[in-house]
Amino acid sequence: MSAELPCKLKASDYKSNTKPVWCPGCGDYHVLLSLTKAVAQIGLRPEEIAVISGIGCSSRIPAYLNCYGFHGVHGRALPLATGVKVARPDLTVICAGGDGDGFSIGGNHLLHACRRNIDITYVVMDNEVYGMTKGQPSPTTAPDWDSKIAPGGTGISPFYPLVIALASGANFVARAFSGDPNGTAKILVDAITHRGFSFVQILSPCVTFRPDQRGWKKQVHPAPVTPTSDASQAARRVMTDDGFNIGVLYKGSRKPYRQTVGTEIRFDRNLDEEFLV
Amino acid sequence: MSNTPESYSPSFSMAELLVHALVIELEAVESYKDLAIQMKQCGNDEVAGLFEKMSELEAGHAAKIRDIAGDIELPELAPWEYRWPGMESPETVDLAGIHYLMTPHHALKLALENETNAMAFFDAIANGCTDERVCSLALEFANDERQHVAWMEDWLANYPEPDAAWDDDPDPPAAID
Repeated sequence: MSAELPCKLKASDYKSNTKPVWCPGCGDYHVLLSLTKAVAQIGLRPEEIAVISGIGCSSRIPAYLNCYGFHGVHGRALPLATGVKVARPDLTVICAGGDGDGFSIGGNHLLHACRRNIDITYVVMDNEVYGMTKGQPSPTTAPDWDSKIAPGGTGISPFYPLVIALASGANFVARAFSGDPNGTAKILVDAITHRGFSFVQILSPCVTFRPDQRGWKKQVHPAPVTPTSDASQAARRVMTDDGFNIGVLYKGSRKPYRQTVGTEIRFDRNLDEEFLV
Repeated sequence: MSNTPESYSPSFSMAELLVHALVIELEAVESYKDLAIQMKQCGNDEVAGLFEKMSELEAGHAAKIRDIAGDIELPELAPWEYRWPGMESPETVDLAGIHYLMTPHHALKLALENETNAMAFFDAIANGCTDERVCSLALEFANDERQHVAWMEDWLANYPEPDAAWDDDPDPPAAID
């Protein structure tokens, strides 16, 4: 494949031979489809993409893609993705995972990834539940969600990922819905091609532990406004919407992180000698 | 009932009609193939077999449309540039209707719904277009889909609706008691 020729692969060419083991009907199948459509549309070669994930159902996604991938440890997808991007700035780095991985154990990393504004795209498949571990409430679960494992609900206010991302300095913020794979592909194209840290929350139903989410298709609707470059306006909009507005919310113009110090590694000491027993 | 609203009446050129018709079938091929894998993985071999069969049928339809298109250069559209009446192409299976214990009856009902959607899509184009050649081909596609609807109805007649407890699982993947 010549480096000069544009890449003309089909979306299906970006799928690996490993078949997903998600539950039948899981929204993550459509996220996989949207992601392959997006990278095919941009014309990225598989060897130009790295998909990094944490732990959870959705974090299996690198295995199902035909590109570089790393299935990391719980909540640590963003530090891994940051390392990959800093070491290989030529790669398009996409970080992926779920709401438990990204907003609970990985919550602190989200804040700092937004703040650092490294040129990566973070895709969170949000189903408001820990699916892999059998249905515990996650940070985005509604306080009154009644289940066997949390009778009467947790009573705890949910995490608002889009507002947190805006407040922390993310340069692109959007919400998508897995049941709209073509619309989601468009949002992902926008996110991947926008410079800096892009955050995309994809509402992706868990049909096993949250069968009520089968109804999301009827609840989502396009956001009635165009994207803004004013973070405070975007925050106000997202704090007052119904949680089902779909579209790009915010496009910032902050310069992405560029490594300017420490680019040369100096070995002033002879480590071999120091560690010699 | 289809997902094509009455107000849906796009104007297509011949090449646009052909590319939409082809993509409907190609996306259905992939969608049914994926569903067959999903069903096989949870041991529902009967429904997996049905989805595989449907994928093969749709591949046959795609080949037919390719033959009709012949040398006509089809436009290259981004996924979101297709003018579908809903979020996806009319014959793509709605994942919300999928269940690991679904029976052939449910699978065929989904397929019937998809064929009905495709028929309504082509009827809407045939009714709304101004180019006679486009109208005629859209009507031909609609009639093909009408035939598929009839086939699905015949097929479905062999699989009556299961009793209400069809999704009872003695060992469910539900949350810890």
